[in-house]
Amino acid sequence: MIEKLKDFYNKRKTIVMLIILAAAVALPFVVSKGSVMSLIVRIMFYVILASSLNIINGYSGQFNIGHAGFVLIGSYTLSILAQSGWPIWLLFVVSGIVSSIVGFLISLPTLRLRGIYLALVTLGFSEILRLVALNWTSLTGGPMGIKGIPAPWFFGLRATSPHNYYFIVLLFVVLCLFTSYRVINSKVGRAWLSIREDDHAAMSLGVDIRKYKALNFMFGAFWAGVGGALMAPFYTFIDSSMFSLDEGFNILSMVIIGGQGTLLGPVVGSVVVNLTTEIFRFANEARLLVYAVMIIAMMWLRPQGIAGTSRSVIANRSLGRDRGAFFKKILKKKEVK
Amino acid sequence: MYLLEQLINGICQGSIYALMAIGYAVIYGVVGLVTFTYGEIIMMGSFSAFYYFILFGDNLFFALIAGFITAAVVGIVVHKVCYQRFLDAPRYISLICTIGMSMFLKNFATIVFGSEMKGMPSFLSGKFIEIGTIRVGYLQLLIIGIVILLSLLLTLYLKKTRMGMKLRAVSQDKKAAALVGINVKTTTLIGNCIGCGLGGVAGILLGVYYNSVLPTMGGMAGLKAFSSMVLGGLGSIGGSAIGGVLIGVVENLGIALTSSGLRDVFAFLLLVLVLVIRPQGLFGKKGN
Amino acid sequence: MGVLLQTKNISKYYGGIKAVQNIDMQVEEGEIFGIIGPNGAGKTSFFNVCTGNLQPNGGEVWFDGKNITGLRPARIATMGIARTFQNIQLFNFMTVLENVKIGFHTHEKTNIADAILHTKRYKEDERLTHEKAVSLIDRLGLTKESDNLAGNLAYGVQRRVEIARALALEPKILLLDEPAAGMNPIETRDLSDFIKQLRKDGHTIVVIEHDMKFVMNLCDRIMVINFGKKICEGGPAHVKADKEVNEAYFGKGTTF
Repeated sequence: MIEKLKDFYNKRKTIVMLIILAAAVALPFVVSKGSVMSLIVRIMFYVILASSLNIINGYSGQFNIGHAGFVLIGSYTLSILAQSGWPIWLLFVVSGIVSSIVGFLISLPTLRLRGIYLALVTLGFSEILRLVALNWTSLTGGPMGIKGIPAPWFFGLRATSPHNYYFIVLLFVVLCLFTSYRVINSKVGRAWLSIREDDHAAMSLGVDIRKYKALNFMFGAFWAGVGGALMAPFYTFIDSSMFSLDEGFNILSMVIIGGQGTLLGPVVGSVVVNLTTEIFRFANEARLLVYAVMIIAMMWLRPQGIAGTSRSVIANRSLGRDRGAFFKKILKKKEVK
Repeated sequence: MYLLEQLINGICQGSIYALMAIGYAVIYGVVGLVTFTYGEIIMMGSFSAFYYFILFGDNLFFALIAGFITAAVVGIVVHKVCYQRFLDAPRYISLICTIGMSMFLKNFATIVFGSEMKGMPSFLSGKFIEIGTIRVGYLQLLIIGIVILLSLLLTLYLKKTRMGMKLRAVSQDKKAAALVGINVKTTTLIGNCIGCGLGGVAGILLGVYYNSVLPTMGGMAGLKAFSSMVLGGLGSIGGSAIGGVLIGVVENLGIALTSSGLRDVFAFLLLVLVLVIRPQGLFGKKGN
Repeated sequence: MGVLLQTKNISKYYGGIKAVQNIDMQVEEGEIFGIIGPNGAGKTSFFNVCTGNLQPNGGEVWFDGKNITGLRPARIATMGIARTFQNIQLFNFMTVLENVKIGFHTHEKTNIADAILHTKRYKEDERLTHEKAVSLIDRLGLTKESDNLAGNLAYGVQRRVEIARALALEPKILLLDEPAAGMNPIETRDLSDFIKQLRKDGHTIVVIEHDMKFVMNLCDRIMVINFGKKICEGGPAHVKADKEVNEAYFGKGTTF
């Protein structure tokens, strides 16, 4: 069944995309409840966040678990500058750029590092950023955070309701996925893949590893920053606790559950995780137990994620060891199909 | 003089970190996988002592034993769920699994134990010795003493017992160990449990020292343990201990010079600096 | 026909071990040059110095009239030196076509902006790369395997894919690290013919091997290394007759 769907999709890509887009645009007119719309907007935020993380982890094989840090930069940049009267629309882009620069700075000292070492540095940076935001009260409001973040103008109105804000987020989701798709299917994306697969071989083919790793971080950080910036006016309030390591793991889980190394993966991941935690909302902490079990179950049953390819899991050399026996099992399953 | 006292605080705190790091190093060395559940194991040890004190009174010695056992048992569960199956898989699969497990344990604890901070009974409070103008608490000395004792016991165990030898063999080369007839599965399990047990003890010391136990205390604790190990050199037990003490000292001196809100920043800055400048840590070997 | 690749007095030490000592080498344009020696002789270390994967402790490497000593591998690749690996480092989970396409990396000029906007430059790059990749795959007889994952192929085919990928660099010189390793006699002979064809097409090739027969049949000139030092250099006949070479391979008192 899945094969048939894939086939249909491959032959009529543009039409399928247009249909999905039309459905997405029509959505707010079909959904009446504000709370449901809010959930949808939230899912969209995480599509951007998960996609941006996927660019880093899934495509270039660098292991980043400090993604919350980039989101933080985006959120705070917008919130702080909005207080000085900068237009919100402009700030969406500016926040992305600032986050991208931070991404570049973080990548600089880490270009030689791989695997768990790189992961730790990203983790360290993420926490340092959070702690700075928590303590630099004069700039960030400290533990109080920043309140009263204004909403952007949208066709003459302030986009305060989820139904209105949805269109703004939709625009950026489309841009994010679209640009990611185009970059991946180009020299740049191929360079990233080659780094993921075998960076020594990539070097011997003339791929400037350091340049492309940095570029990869910057691209991922940019969209994470945009995502963070989009969240601020919607929630009208931010503080450093929204960008904890747990939040970073949250985004990572969406990428993993949805599937690394494919564009669809983060979308699926965001939908599945956010829907699940919403469905179990009544259970409070227990819903996090459900989330936790979901993550563990995914690793047991389908480590490549729902929409992921086994290629992306096996290929990541920086964290791999002798992949042999374990994956013969998965590959066998595929062949039997 | 304030600085010197902070130094003492740092050494005491550092020795708790050192014990955590030693436990972590044992796990990492024997099992060979990085884990994010260690913090929660530390937390469970802490809580087991809390409940021990409530049920059986203020006996620190037995509480430590209870903590060791509890943490080791939790370790068994973690091993079965997150490690055993993935010993030969790409590392990040077990890593993600431990992230999920950590989330599970943390929220499980919040549900079962409640999210409010709990206090531990105080031991040796108000008692200290004076060296010149500096005060060193009896409790601090006790903690440092316990850590040193446990480290010595561990070293003896690893060097002098058969199991210890098996643990060392497995930590060096699993395949070779299997070839000479060592049951790698069981050995990694035991190594994991010992490491977890030590973490549990460290958790109790942490809880007693700060007189607070929280279901969410695992996060930072685990990170500090991991950072200590990386600082000292992945898998090097002695290095991890030194790393732990170093982080404790740097933290406390840092607080003395700036503000306590930034305490954790120092640990992370140190971690990042070490990783960037010398990824193999102070005592580790080059090349992963 | 000038000297294309040259080393002057290259040395490489690992702590106290002198892996490579004072090796001079000159590879002429258009020839097939062989480097042989027993296992552990230092061939691979020497090779890796030439490709920039290792830094020499002494000496210089010159390519096409430029000093390339100490340059990084990626930079050296852009200058026209392509290499393969002893243990075949293909991108196993990418198709043959994708593998070869990456080989054209240095010839493409697309940057991120081009990719996002699908500029002329992007379209040109994609079209050209695809065409050249397909053509290269056809030339090497890999058309059937084009969409298969590289990791699933037979060993001999993988070797060819790796060479195809290296050729995608459109290099001035091709360095092959033990290309016949793990091959049976038939595959070895096919490989030998293939390399000769490459020479006919105008490529300069350096081959490291320890299979004496293979090198004798294939190379125009040969350099023999033992214990890190060059012990002989010249045509196959000259090397075959050399006393020291014989001793190195077979011990004293034997000949080929």
